[in-house]
Amino acid sequence: MSHTPAYAQSRPAGGPVARFLRSYYIYLVLVAVVVVLSAANLDRFDLFERGNFLNQNNIINILRISAPLLTLVGAFTLLMVSGYIDLSVGSAASLSAVVYALFAIHGLPFPVAFALTLVVGAGLGAINGILVVRLGITPVIATLITLSLYKGIALLLVEDGVSAIKSGGGLSMPDWFNSYGRIGVMLGLPAAFWVAVGVTLVLVVAQNRTLLGKYAAATGGNPTAARLSGINTGRIVFLLYVIVGMTAALAGIARSSFMSLGDPLSGDGMELSAILAVLIGGTAFAGGEGRVLRSFIGALIIMALTVGMLILVPAYFQTLLIGLALLAAAASNHLISRKEVVS
Amino acid sequence: MTAYPVKAEGVLGSDHRMGDETFIASLVACVAVGLFLIASVFVPNFFQPLTMLNLVTNNWAVISLGVGVTFLLVSGNFDLSVGGVVALSGVLAVWFAQSADGNNALSTGLGFPYWLAIVCALGGALAVGALNALFVVRFSVPSIIVTLGTMMLARGIAQVITQGSQRNTNLPPEFGILGNLTMFGTSVRLPVVLMVVLLLVAIFIEKKTVFGRLTYWIGANPVTARLSGIDRAKHLTYLYLLSAGIAGAVGILLASEFRSGYSNRGTLMEFDALVTALLGGVAIAGGFGSVIGMFFGALILAVVTTAATGMILSPDWQFILKAVAVFLAIVTQTWALARRNR
Repeated sequence: MSHTPAYAQSRPAGGPVARFLRSYYIYLVLVAVVVVLSAANLDRFDLFERGNFLNQNNIINILRISAPLLTLVGAFTLLMVSGYIDLSVGSAASLSAVVYALFAIHGLPFPVAFALTLVVGAGLGAINGILVVRLGITPVIATLITLSLYKGIALLLVEDGVSAIKSGGGLSMPDWFNSYGRIGVMLGLPAAFWVAVGVTLVLVVAQNRTLLGKYAAATGGNPTAARLSGINTGRIVFLLYVIVGMTAALAGIARSSFMSLGDPLSGDGMELSAILAVLIGGTAFAGGEGRVLRSFIGALIIMALTVGMLILVPAYFQTLLIGLALLAAAASNHLISRKEVVS
Repeated sequence: MTAYPVKAEGVLGSDHRMGDETFIASLVACVAVGLFLIASVFVPNFFQPLTMLNLVTNNWAVISLGVGVTFLLVSGNFDLSVGGVVALSGVLAVWFAQSADGNNALSTGLGFPYWLAIVCALGGALAVGALNALFVVRFSVPSIIVTLGTMMLARGIAQVITQGSQRNTNLPPEFGILGNLTMFGTSVRLPVVLMVVLLLVAIFIEKKTVFGRLTYWIGANPVTARLSGIDRAKHLTYLYLLSAGIAGAVGILLASEFRSGYSNRGTLMEFDALVTALLGGVAIAGGFGSVIGMFFGALILAVVTTAATGMILSPDWQFILKAVAVFLAIVTQTWALARRNR
């Protein structure tokens, strides 16, 4: 471990309370959000006809809806830790959802459709990787290009006149199609959620126990130093883009299965939610630090808030609240990271 | 020491050779003309003066927004909030101008006189610009994240004011004048004329004023700019206010044209403004690009999308066409510059 970069060994400064808060604030925020939403007496509004926020069915429902975002944020965090960004994840998820639904509706069995969609996702990620690493296009622009490209392809794959791939015109969705995202397999939660948990666990291990995590942090912390120490930063970044593409495909599959549709717009805005979750989780903008697990909790916070807000205020407040949350997360993220620099 | 001035002459492009920016702008202009000629061959009824005029007049909003976005990109910063600001200022103008005695919530406004409504709507737009500047300059948050947030904030406020719909009743009669006024006895409307004036002023500022040249300096090398005593914070604040101000004016003119404040107006306009700037050769890393290049970039986008519509492609194609166009533009411009300066 002699080559562990200095910044990786540094501990956040401050007293024990400050250190505790900085490490675990995200869990406190999650608890606070849940407590507030429970106290807000949501059963009055009777949205799910299931009573209180902490009702078992409501929790299962929120976790089911959250599966796509939860699958995505882990890999997205690692990419941001390495100092890069992928704005195309929403479009990649939409395209994967459409492709998956097309495979299913044309009679491919579940494992084949699932595997092929993952391959498509890896390909979409690889395209991003090539644009950024090989052609040297700025990540924001490269992935804005593919955001538009993937969205366009997804829209073209759906015939004119229909809004999504669904049963009709002699073809029908197989019976198994929505069991992945809806039918509980363990603790009442569907496979899609457990896949999200599994992906996150794998990535937590990858970040803490493998060279991938270390190299990602080194690339984001100081790209030149990382290159000079013999790390093939290009290959790390390419690999991370492919992983992000695959998790975007998983997210698309989960969304598509939950809605029983291949909707070419279903992933719109997912990149914003992912950025928001990662920021709430305290990942640095400039790269170099961030934790997969905290982003996972960040995503849970966002989904709990989204569902809670849908009940408390009219739907047209949604955009404003997301914008405010993004700015608040950006500001607090800045304050937290500045304290560490100063001290 | 003899080699040094020769090299500097080549790099900086003095008397003998046109500068890199002029070179790229001419390249973009040639591509725009070339694409127009190609489209004329394939698309029936394309090669007409009216088509050429429409390519500019139909895109006045995006071209105007492109000016502010270009200046910011040259300084090394994004502004993705312009589309949201267009929606916000339009909705604010309508809300302020609606009389206070409507039948329901959406037809009741604040009853300001029209001029005051415009001033206040512009103020709202500038507030978003100030917020951008605050986060980018004071909090050092990456501009892409900040302006994504303010885009949603601005559009979100517009959606709350219109309750997710639009406001178009109970407006004073003079509300529709600004956006529909035709000029010089032709069919050219006031917003188009304002766009031309804005372009000329922007080109003058960019080429001939200290402010314009400092923008390039800040984008090209922020560190030397700071060490030379340039107040980057103040400069970026002005640029964000400029961009938001233009977006606010565009929003007010669009609201006037349609006589309505619609919370989803300007959706994707921030994307189109960015695309036109990139097509026009503005470098994302900052320090390079020109307003005139952006203008021709907008023409390229207009020719491509108009031709696609003329060939009866599904509107879904526009996303793929924009992606391919930006990709080709970035790759060829990088290649052309590398080859030229070899």
